[in-house]
Amino acid sequence: MKNLIERAEAKLDEWGAKLEQKNIEYPVDLICGILFLVIGIVLLLIMPQQVQISEKDVVNGRAFPTMLIWLMLAMSALLVGREAYNMVMHRPTKTKTLNLLVETKALVIVLILVVTYLLAEVTDLFVVGAVFCALAFLVFFRCKKPLYYAITVSMAVLIWVVFHFVLNVSF
Amino acid sequence: MGLFDFIGPASGLLFTLENIIWINLGVFIGCVFAAIPGLSVILCIILFLPVTYTMRAIPGMMFLLGIYCAGGYGGSVSAILINTPGTPHAAATMLDGYPLSKMGRTKAALKIALYASTFGGIFSALVLLFLGPQVAKISAQLGTAEYFMVCLFGMTIIAGVSGKSLVKGIIAACLGLLISCVGADPMTSYDRFTFGIPRLYLGLDLAVTLIGLFALVEIIGKAELKRNELNLHAGKIGNDDGKITKDEYKRMFRPVLMGSIIGSCVGIVPGTGASEASWFSYNTAKNLSKHPEEFGHGSVEGVAAAESANNAVCGATLIPLLTMGIPGDGCVAIMLSALMINGLNPGLSLFTTDGAIMYAIMLGLILVNIFMFLQGKYLTSLFAKVVSIPQQILTPIIVIFCFAGAYSVNSSYFDLSVALVFGVMAWFMRKLELPAVPVLLGMVLGNMTETNFRRALLISDGSPRIFVSSVYCWIFIALIVVVILGILRGKMKEAKNTKAEQ
Repeated sequence: MKNLIERAEAKLDEWGAKLEQKNIEYPVDLICGILFLVIGIVLLLIMPQQVQISEKDVVNGRAFPTMLIWLMLAMSALLVGREAYNMVMHRPTKTKTLNLLVETKALVIVLILVVTYLLAEVTDLFVVGAVFCALAFLVFFRCKKPLYYAITVSMAVLIWVVFHFVLNVSF
Repeated sequence: MGLFDFIGPASGLLFTLENIIWINLGVFIGCVFAAIPGLSVILCIILFLPVTYTMRAIPGMMFLLGIYCAGGYGGSVSAILINTPGTPHAAATMLDGYPLSKMGRTKAALKIALYASTFGGIFSALVLLFLGPQVAKISAQLGTAEYFMVCLFGMTIIAGVSGKSLVKGIIAACLGLLISCVGADPMTSYDRFTFGIPRLYLGLDLAVTLIGLFALVEIIGKAELKRNELNLHAGKIGNDDGKITKDEYKRMFRPVLMGSIIGSCVGIVPGTGASEASWFSYNTAKNLSKHPEEFGHGSVEGVAAAESANNAVCGATLIPLLTMGIPGDGCVAIMLSALMINGLNPGLSLFTTDGAIMYAIMLGLILVNIFMFLQGKYLTSLFAKVVSIPQQILTPIIVIFCFAGAYSVNSSYFDLSVALVFGVMAWFMRKLELPAVPVLLGMVLGNMTETNFRRALLISDGSPRIFVSSVYCWIFIALIVVVILGILRGKMKEAKNTKAEQ
């Protein structure tokens, strides 16, 4: 068993070392601008279906969100325009670097969170999700101390007990 | 009616066993969270906000204020012990606190930080007590159009200062305001942006979304931790006697008083915060000191100036919040929702109709600082131990707390999924360098901004001239312009300095 864990960890380290070398550089402001331009346009397009109004209203429920969307579009256009100008003029654009190892680890964490949520909802017993969460994170951090497992699982159960029996939250 | 008319009934409401327990619990939790590097006060307030939903206004606010104020002091514990500030605003404390600790005066450094924090906290609580009602009287003269301008002013300043880019700050604020539009229209009750999901008709609960935006994103951010960063070296309180000499007390007095004044002034301005106050106070103390050469090498004045200022911000930030509904920073923005859930809306009525409750809360802030002092005096060795709780244990516990808190708001698993979605959204926002605080403010101020905007236009029969119809409107327009110009000037200066450095 110990051998198996060591081999699995060695394999993970190997993948990790490869992923750590891989970086993706992206123009952060340009992407942010384009993304919010798209979001703004989509919101404007779905507005008639999503926001019902009465014809009698002087100022209806679409006025405020529409104003915000136009402001967001203007700011996004400003970002895109500024970055496009920098590109045309061969000036440095603002970039950010993504490390694939970090993003993969983030994805694993999100997965742990999603499974925790699903376990709690499907079993309708929060403590099941809580215990899974405690164990999953300790495995994620490659913790080998039995004491840490005992403390974390006990805390998971304790939090559930406090919410369930003291604060009367039924889950 | 004024302070002396309310002091009797307010004291009756405040001095109950329930309130004392909640204050102490808040102070303890705030100190523990702030002492652990990587955990912030805002995260702590978000985690415990759902707990206050079942409480009445005074114990709920006392609990949150306990966390908020104690967080100011707690951050200094790890700054002094392990040279890592528990909270960003303890960074200035670290400059002299850690060298003092290295000189074998750990207890003395912690004592100075505690005394200065308590003084700063009580000073600003008194500022709130006497200045708050006066500002509220002015706010009573504001109509719907003026209130809309107030909201706009609050958001402009915060969007501008909370990120590196004003443009991105405005985009983030718009996003927050749009999120606040989800659910029933506040004026007509028609549904908006519900995408056929009936549960969304009630809107997105602030506590649930904040758990995702500020807490779960921190958990996802653990992906950035290297393996050697999982454990911090245990903080130890030395065996020194912790004695502060008469001369040191004398030297501390001026920076503590100045720090308290600076912290209070900075705190009143929305968008600024404890970090700005502590650096400003630290630099001022250094410039005015007779021993500037000691700064950075264990100066008692340095620790005192920084700590008094960052705690003096606490009470002052509540002034724009309680009088006009403008949250000075992210933490008090969350407290606004705790107030509103109890039917307490900011403005003059808070100081008249609900005067007893409001004065109880303001007097309670003094009590919070007293209990912070007592806990700091007797429990600092315990706070020092929690500094070294490993991330492996802490991370899952925070997640379980987040999920339990999110569920308890409406007893619905749907809220867990909402928190998750907001957590992932916040992670993407980080990748796009979009600040999260303007989103929070947009969500908090969204309803108030829209309602006042539409009411004003309704009064004027759709004419936008109402927004320039009074002196107050013009004052706020001028303030917005000044703020934008100030922010732009600051950014240009920053860009120029960066260019020069390159």
